[in-house]
Amino acid sequence: MTLLEAAAALRRREISSMELTASALQRIERFNPSTNAVQFVIAEAAREQAKQADEELARGEGRGPLHGIPVAVKDLFYTKGVRTTGGSRLFEDYVPDHDATVVARLRAGGAVLAGKTGMHELAYGITSSNPHFGAIRNPWDRDCIPGGSSGGSGAAVAAGMVSMAMGSDTGGSIRIPAAFCGVVGLKPTYGRVSRYGAMPLAFSLDHMGPLTRSVRDAGAALNVIAGYDPHDETSSRRPAADYVPEIEPSLRGLRIGLPENFYFDRLDPEVDAAVRAAFRTAESRGAEIVPLRVPDIAAINTVARVILMAEASALMEAHLAQRDRFGGDVLSLLDQGRLLPATDYINAQRLRRASERAFAGLWSRVDCLFTPTAPITAPRIGETTVTVGSENEDVRLAATRLVRAINPLGLPAVSIPCGASRGLPIGLQIVGPPFTEALILRVAQALLPAEVPVPGL
Amino acid sequence: MSTDLKSDLKKDWKKIARASGLAIPDAALERVAQSLDALEAEFRPLVRALPPETEPAIAFRVSPGDAE
Repeated sequence: MTLLEAAAALRRREISSMELTASALQRIERFNPSTNAVQFVIAEAAREQAKQADEELARGEGRGPLHGIPVAVKDLFYTKGVRTTGGSRLFEDYVPDHDATVVARLRAGGAVLAGKTGMHELAYGITSSNPHFGAIRNPWDRDCIPGGSSGGSGAAVAAGMVSMAMGSDTGGSIRIPAAFCGVVGLKPTYGRVSRYGAMPLAFSLDHMGPLTRSVRDAGAALNVIAGYDPHDETSSRRPAADYVPEIEPSLRGLRIGLPENFYFDRLDPEVDAAVRAAFRTAESRGAEIVPLRVPDIAAINTVARVILMAEASALMEAHLAQRDRFGGDVLSLLDQGRLLPATDYINAQRLRRASERAFAGLWSRVDCLFTPTAPITAPRIGETTVTVGSENEDVRLAATRLVRAINPLGLPAVSIPCGASRGLPIGLQIVGPPFTEALILRVAQALLPAEVPVPGL
Repeated sequence: MSTDLKSDLKKDWKKIARASGLAIPDAALERVAQSLDALEAEFRPLVRALPPETEPAIAFRVSPGDAE
């Protein structure tokens, strides 16, 4: 059942929030030992919230589509009175005294917070094999990673524990787990969703967004969390829209960009075939496919890495004397960032501006772009390199190669499942101009009208 | 000519770390040096090609009211 279907059933009093919450908690209890998706279960408080939601709904005091729906948030969102670790030993006992804006808005919308999902340490990586809290496993194949850094959110939604979990995305951390776990992952435009109270990794690259099993559910979640927040000075004052697409949208008159360079250069052949099939589906729904050359994505990826390393190391510098409190991969990245000179950071931000201008020219020719989300399906846990085509590639660089550049550009992007290879999901990335979340979700809905399946666990 | 030669010199990350007073063990420095050399090889040509009039994408607002 999708989030919106559950919401409709709640309104019709066919089901109660207490029942939905009990079912979510049961699934977490049953499947968490094999997936490690949820780091902290908040059972008692969730039951209390569900009881309150049922009472409010009985009085006709509906607060919107999330009212009474059990959800989860990545364990980097501050939750008042509930531990928030960021997947790090540094913050293992940290209990915030306030909620992140996203959490506050979910609560105000009546959502029931059932748990906090596991993640890659400090959101700084894509495997979600956390050295402190254990490896998170992909529900489609538990020997594989779920992607990251929002790996717990991807796995929890894919396993049907909750119908929506919040993630964060600094270089692909919502879209990669969405692709590897076969769910919908939306990274909104920079400034569309408040970053306040979400542990930062890189101020100018961090984005917050939902992972769900249907496109319309992602729109419903965005409706609740989007909008100006005075606590986040990069928050946009542009009014939020209704992001839930109609059930069977037309793509007539829409121009979809087919990148002729970079994005299809080095892919698993089955990923290539599945993504090209998505173009044909879009064309059959009335869209016009426009082949075009995109700006130098490899260069933007490099720029993004310099910005990420500089900002992340600046943030964590005060903690870096405690080297034994970091996992090896994260510590290595933080060491690298400390060695970059300030001039590199400034020049990366200058290159970012140039890239932004180069990309802006694209939007006069097309309404959105289709690309693969990742060149591969989920790698196995512990793999450090993968073979793509005839080349060996570092797992982290391969997984982020097609998504990282979208972060410094601040563009909205959604990953939806578009096929499978050897039982593992393949992701399609849809990228639009700034603040076109409604458009890219409409396109996504046209391609993925139904709820994605839950694997047999 | 001499400028190009200088900019093509490889950076000595160990010396940079020590000069910066960073307590990064040698073994860790060995690991990061390789990654930083690779990043340097990709990043430096981009910087060299930047037109001087390109300003950074760093937002500074005199007051929060100036936000979009």
